[in-house]
Amino acid sequence: MKCVICDRMAGEEGYCELHAKACKSVNEKYHEWKKALEISWKEYLSRIIKNPLTGEWAREAAEYLVKSGETRSVKQG
Amino acid sequence: MWTNIERYTLIITEKPDTAHRVASALSKKGRAKRREEHGVPYYLAERDKKIVVVSALGHLYTIAEERKGRNYYPVFNFRWVPRYIAERGATRIRTWIKTISKLASEADLFIDACDYDIEGSVIGYCVLKYACGNKETISKRMKYSTLTKEELEKSYAELLPHLDFELIEAGGTRHEVDWLYGVNLSRALTIAARKWSGKYTTLSTGRVQGPALKFLVAREKDIRSFVPTPYWEIKAEFKINGSFFKAEYEKNKIETKSESDAILNMCEEEKGQVEKIVVRRFQQKPPVPFDLGTLQSEAYGLFGYTPKRTSNIAQRLYLEALISYPRTSSQKLPPEINYEAILKKLSKVHKYKKLAKELLAKTKLKPREGTKKDSAHPAIYPTGELPERELHDSEKRVFDLIVRRFMAVFSKEAIKQSMKVHIKVNDHLFHLRGRQTLKEGWLHFYEPYVRSEEVFLPPIKEGQTIKVKKLISEDKFTKPPPRYNPSSLLKKMEETGIGTKATRANIIQTLYDRKYVREERMVVTNLGFEVLEVLEKHCPPVVSIELTSELEERMDKIQAKREKRENVLMDTVEILKPVVQELKEKEKIIGEQLSNAIKRAKLEERIVGTCPVCATGKLIILYSRKTGKRFIGCTNYFKGKCETSFPLPQKGSVRPHGRNCRGCGWPTVQVRIKGKYPWTLCFNPDCPSKKERRKK
Repeated sequence: MKCVICDRMAGEEGYCELHAKACKSVNEKYHEWKKALEISWKEYLSRIIKNPLTGEWAREAAEYLVKSGETRSVKQG
Repeated sequence: MWTNIERYTLIITEKPDTAHRVASALSKKGRAKRREEHGVPYYLAERDKKIVVVSALGHLYTIAEERKGRNYYPVFNFRWVPRYIAERGATRIRTWIKTISKLASEADLFIDACDYDIEGSVIGYCVLKYACGNKETISKRMKYSTLTKEELEKSYAELLPHLDFELIEAGGTRHEVDWLYGVNLSRALTIAARKWSGKYTTLSTGRVQGPALKFLVAREKDIRSFVPTPYWEIKAEFKINGSFFKAEYEKNKIETKSESDAILNMCEEEKGQVEKIVVRRFQQKPPVPFDLGTLQSEAYGLFGYTPKRTSNIAQRLYLEALISYPRTSSQKLPPEINYEAILKKLSKVHKYKKLAKELLAKTKLKPREGTKKDSAHPAIYPTGELPERELHDSEKRVFDLIVRRFMAVFSKEAIKQSMKVHIKVNDHLFHLRGRQTLKEGWLHFYEPYVRSEEVFLPPIKEGQTIKVKKLISEDKFTKPPPRYNPSSLLKKMEETGIGTKATRANIIQTLYDRKYVREERMVVTNLGFEVLEVLEKHCPPVVSIELTSELEERMDKIQAKREKRENVLMDTVEILKPVVQELKEKEKIIGEQLSNAIKRAKLEERIVGTCPVCATGKLIILYSRKTGKRFIGCTNYFKGKCETSFPLPQKGSVRPHGRNCRGCGWPTVQVRIKGKYPWTLCFNPDCPSKKERRKK
């Protein structure tokens, strides 16, 4: 199975090793953004996509999460 | 040669320049005479007896597999052979060795005068053993750290009775171990990729190269997965005695917007009171003398020179007897080098005159030294000799840096004073900081290369009330870890004990040559990622930093007679055997992975930047199937979404420049035509800078 973001081999969650790490980072950092700015998951994703300091894979992961409409509640599990 | 048949002393040096220096220094009866045989220069000198000085050309001998051919692995049987046998294009070596052999046949005394380090010792040993016919056991050794006449004469007068066989054993083993790693792993990767794609691309890895790439990949992963987090910084501008000063809020980072807003509300338009003034005096010790690593790091920070460039410049300065031997890890300057004599010589140079005289006026010259030692050579220092030719700008810079550093280490500490003013505004604390140098000390000697920013504060008293003129809240974001540059990677390799001072810079260059990394701030390419992934997945021991540094230690122990060459080699083979076996079994999968990575890497090399028209495609250098002409097109053309294309010059080579045009912000390409300076081309026909140029 290929990664949902790139062509690399994917693991169980559908991401390759590199995008899985990036996705984890995107998910973990929301907590800090929410505390700092009191913003929604969607708003957070759109902000990190625009931020030039965001890493390439983290941006791709955020873009994928926006496109796939994945909600925070699923991730908060 | 001399007309009568007379036996002479044959001195072997590492490089032709050194041979000339040694012969000139030792010749007592007139100038050394240059002779040549089949294009190989050698020098005749007369002293107590006749002397012939001939040089090697770096390594004349290398390791090769016993069975011929490059298309197989594993390879565990090897032998030392002349380089022309193992390497294509090393044909000059054949005549070189022939000439040395001929000169050796009429010599009755042999002296190895190659650089006194691991590489130099191996070079000299091989020449004496193979080219001179087993003369390594009877050869004497010259040991010197500078190529000045005095030191060379002294070294000749005080010859070491024999070669340093432990050093040679350690050096030889290092070559053999590195060869075993390099040849087996590189061949496994290259053959796997070639079998899959049918195309040849050199892929390489080695005992040190793999772990070095591992550092870079780990950092790259952190950077590419990085998500910044917001924070705020607050500064207050106070008006003191008619001037404005900025003070920082007590907390460097304010983590929430609400907290930042609350502080602003509380402090705006308020008055502050000086609660406390803390004045601290401190000493800044002089720097320690340069070893190669610190010189490379300093030259990178100051001039942007890569470690390899600095190493090459330092080597040239050494060969001209301007500085001592640069491939040293010592930070010590022993008194035997004669500090006073060097400073006296330096005082003849106008720009160093005043500084050198200041030091010479001291009652005792004592350098501040670092902790690092090197049994063979002291730290890098200027010999005091002056250049015989006009130095290039880069050589001038490195030479000046070495001279000033040398003088700075003999100087006194700098004394500085910092002042921290605590200002309370409505229960919130701000810090106003001042800094000034009270006594320059060594800073004066190292002046152009050290910056000390002075921040003067006005007279201020505890209890004084001051008005907050303005409050500034800055939106900030945490930053990703910095990318390695050649200098910081070299430092990392040094800290973790992988590679040697002589090999690290070359290994970093190989990472660029193999296209595993690009740009000065080292960005790992897809090919770099894939190669490391293959190695980590199928042969983790070869990229293990611990294992590599452990092996380094064992090789060092050979020099100290606490380890045997045979044991190290046998263990190396034991590590490599299962690894190579695994690589062979998985050749197909690995070949596919690497071939795809090579394909992507080649495509990556042609990507110029994001298409400014559709903003989603990439502009790429393409070749027309019809005309064969090259042009720039958008990758979205193949999806039928964007037809953007631009013509390119057809002469010379064109490659993405990695920088955007200052006039229009579009990506640019660099054009190189033989015999001309490369130039940057903006292919945007409507670029405002082009229009301006046309108007002019």
